[in-house]
Amino acid sequence: MTSKSSLSMRFRDRCMLFAAILVLMLGAGPASAVASASVTIAAASDLRFALEELETAFERDTSRQISLTFGSSGNFFRQINEGAPFQMFMSADEDYVIQLAAKGMTADAGTLYAIGRIVLFAPKGSPMKVDEHLKGLKGALAKGEIARFAIANPEHAPYGRAAEQALRRQEVWDKLQSKLILGENVSQAAQFATSGSAQGGIFAYSLALSPAIAKRGEYALIPAQWHKPLRQRMVLLSGAGETARSFYAYMQQPTARAILQRYGFTLPSEAQ
Amino acid sequence: MDWPALVLSLKLGVATIVILLPVGILLGRWLAFSRFQGKGIVEAALTLPLVLPPTVIGYYLLVAFGAESPLGQTFQALFGHTLVFTFEGLLIASVIVNLPFAVQPMQRAFQSIAPEVREAAAVSGMNPWRVLTKVDLPLAWPGIVTGLVLAFAHTLGEFGVVLMVGGSIPKETRTISIAIYDRMQAFDDHGAGMMSALLLVLSVLALGLTYALSNRAVRRHG
Amino acid sequence: MDDGLRVTLRQDAPIPLDIDLDCAPGEVLALTGPSGGGKSTILRAIAGLYAPKHGRIFSKETTWFDSEIPLNLPAHKRSAGLVFQNYALFPHLDALGNVMAAMDHLLPPGRMGRARDLLGLMHLKGLERRRPAQLSGGQQQRVALARAMARDPNVLLLDEPFSAVDKNTRTTLYDELRELRGVFRMPILLVTHDLEEAALLADRICLIDKGRMLENGPPRAILTHPVSEAAARLAGLKNLFRAQIVAQDNAHSILAWAGGRICAPRRDGLNIGDDVAWSIPSTHIVLRESVPGDMTDRENVVCGVVDAQTPLGETMRLTVIVDAPQQPRLSATLPIHDQQLSVCRQGARVTLLLPAAAIHLMRPSD
Repeated sequence: MTSKSSLSMRFRDRCMLFAAILVLMLGAGPASAVASASVTIAAASDLRFALEELETAFERDTSRQISLTFGSSGNFFRQINEGAPFQMFMSADEDYVIQLAAKGMTADAGTLYAIGRIVLFAPKGSPMKVDEHLKGLKGALAKGEIARFAIANPEHAPYGRAAEQALRRQEVWDKLQSKLILGENVSQAAQFATSGSAQGGIFAYSLALSPAIAKRGEYALIPAQWHKPLRQRMVLLSGAGETARSFYAYMQQPTARAILQRYGFTLPSEAQ
Repeated sequence: MDWPALVLSLKLGVATIVILLPVGILLGRWLAFSRFQGKGIVEAALTLPLVLPPTVIGYYLLVAFGAESPLGQTFQALFGHTLVFTFEGLLIASVIVNLPFAVQPMQRAFQSIAPEVREAAAVSGMNPWRVLTKVDLPLAWPGIVTGLVLAFAHTLGEFGVVLMVGGSIPKETRTISIAIYDRMQAFDDHGAGMMSALLLVLSVLALGLTYALSNRAVRRHG
Repeated sequence: MDDGLRVTLRQDAPIPLDIDLDCAPGEVLALTGPSGGGKSTILRAIAGLYAPKHGRIFSKETTWFDSEIPLNLPAHKRSAGLVFQNYALFPHLDALGNVMAAMDHLLPPGRMGRARDLLGLMHLKGLERRRPAQLSGGQQQRVALARAMARDPNVLLLDEPFSAVDKNTRTTLYDELRELRGVFRMPILLVTHDLEEAALLADRICLIDKGRMLENGPPRAILTHPVSEAAARLAGLKNLFRAQIVAQDNAHSILAWAGGRICAPRRDGLNIGDDVAWSIPSTHIVLRESVPGDMTDRENVVCGVVDAQTPLGETMRLTVIVDAPQQPRLSATLPIHDQQLSVCRQGARVTLLLPAAAIHLMRPSD
């Protein structure tokens, strides 16, 4: 065996090994979701913990599987307009659903499934005290103790808009503006607010009720009259399949509504 | 640990380098051995994805083949679904973003071949294809593999473009870097930590491989 | 000549070229001249690596290049073997692999055997498996030569093949080249800046300066009877001077030089009153301790003072400052054991004889 041909044989062997790995990896990957039966549901971030519980219950009760993607409602609205393959949209602001329905992109006008609430949150060790009148916030602000305050981005997150409305009403908005850090969605706002690098924030009640967040600090429910109601509407998108429809129906049943209630949502038949 | 996300990331990485192997070799070789007007512009254009913020790239990709663009609508008409928010859309974005990572090391590898050696090959009777397979590729392969390794590692870590062009659709466009972001928002520090550590290890391995290969290249050229 | 190489190249820029040459099978033609003169460019043009603006290249009745048509066969379609100055071996292949790389025109079964034969011919038996990095300069040179020959070329081109090699190895390689000539009958073009090397190896020498051919002829003629003053300068002749013809008869011209008279063979076209250039080979100058009485004019007696003695291997070069206002310097080459040298230390007075028959007249070049 000449050195030259053994050299080229090693080279060839390595090429073949490389090619074999490539083929295995490409083949072993999951099939495209468009072809598979997996159903993707776009849900507002405030629903994160509630829906994770609901997903488990649904799968247990119906043996069907769904896939959840969380984000800000405004972001989902844009993506759906651009053809994102979601089959159901659970928005934190019903306006987005109404607009989609007007464009004919939905199965129908959708259903109001919950009314959301916001809380003022202070992580452990924060100089700010929480109370429903925001007195603690105003006091800390006056003393210069607030360096950073987290809310969701009002541009595209309904909970951020609600936070802004409440803060303006209490005439704190102007003073607080320079201290704001904006979460891309209400979950990220909660993350910032609980991280300890901010002195507090305003985010969804449903998130504050989850054990993971509750143990990180104190919260106070902000009066519902201080902001436009967070009317959360869900809708099936055009082309939604069996499983999506099944989940949509499931959301309106007692098991689901009980879970929503536990997470602090006001159910439509109660408030309307 | 989001296994589907990891597999998706690996699949995206592999598919990207499968495409970039011939594209990178052709482009790298062309740039290494040709002299023409406007070569500087081509090279600058190729370097663009390196310096542009990923969101800018994501924005322009959406403009180019989003659902409202002619390209996107043609695709929709042909295949029944959009190009964005699919694995295929991510793959196109990934190939564009990783072009400089693949092409530049390959170009340098071809450039480092002494021109006289290539001339000797031609004078020895080898046609251009034989020069490629018998001289260029064997001498440049460490640089070629470096380009692929860098592109693969970079694909695993790509975030901004993937998020904008792909959304975060599980099993379709939720890569491991997006999954980490998602786990953070779910206050699942454990899951985020595990996946981050894995990506760190993979990146270190990629870097190590790159250095080993470039040392090999030095030895190879005698 | 139909079996050989014929080359015409003309170009103004970027590299000036003005060449007409031919080389018969079995003939060695040396291209010699100062660096940057375009000699390597000529080889590259013949090999197909460079396309001049105008010209024609024929080899064995095949046209490789013709700017009129236009036709430009790429290098891999021509049949030239080129040995590069820095060998340009394939670093990733061993010696055998390098040689076999040039054998695309042969069927695979025959390649290995033929490659071994060629390497054996180059005295490289046993080194087939070595990579270029593991070979000495001389060995690499031989592999490069074997690779050039592996192609069964019509023409062999050598670009300063011996410049990077030490003197002893060089002598061995000269012999090997001469052997090759005998075995392979093809035109061989050799580029070298070393005139002595050219004189040793070549049948004809082409003097090339700035892309122009100044002279083309056998080494003897170039070194003793250069066609012009410029050619003489290029050929490195040591004793090259200007003078004026002051008298002439049928056979001789008398020159006024250095305050005295020099008798030289007459040359047609040069008349009384003309400025001329004249040269004499350093080997033809005769040393005398004193002037015997019976000197004829034709022996051209010149007196001077020894300036330096420079040993050059088997010979000694003596530089003498002539007794004359301009103090021209004459170079005489003597065998190193010549007894007369013992009295020629620096500062000693000597008498030199310049035999008229050895003097060569040329038109001055500007």
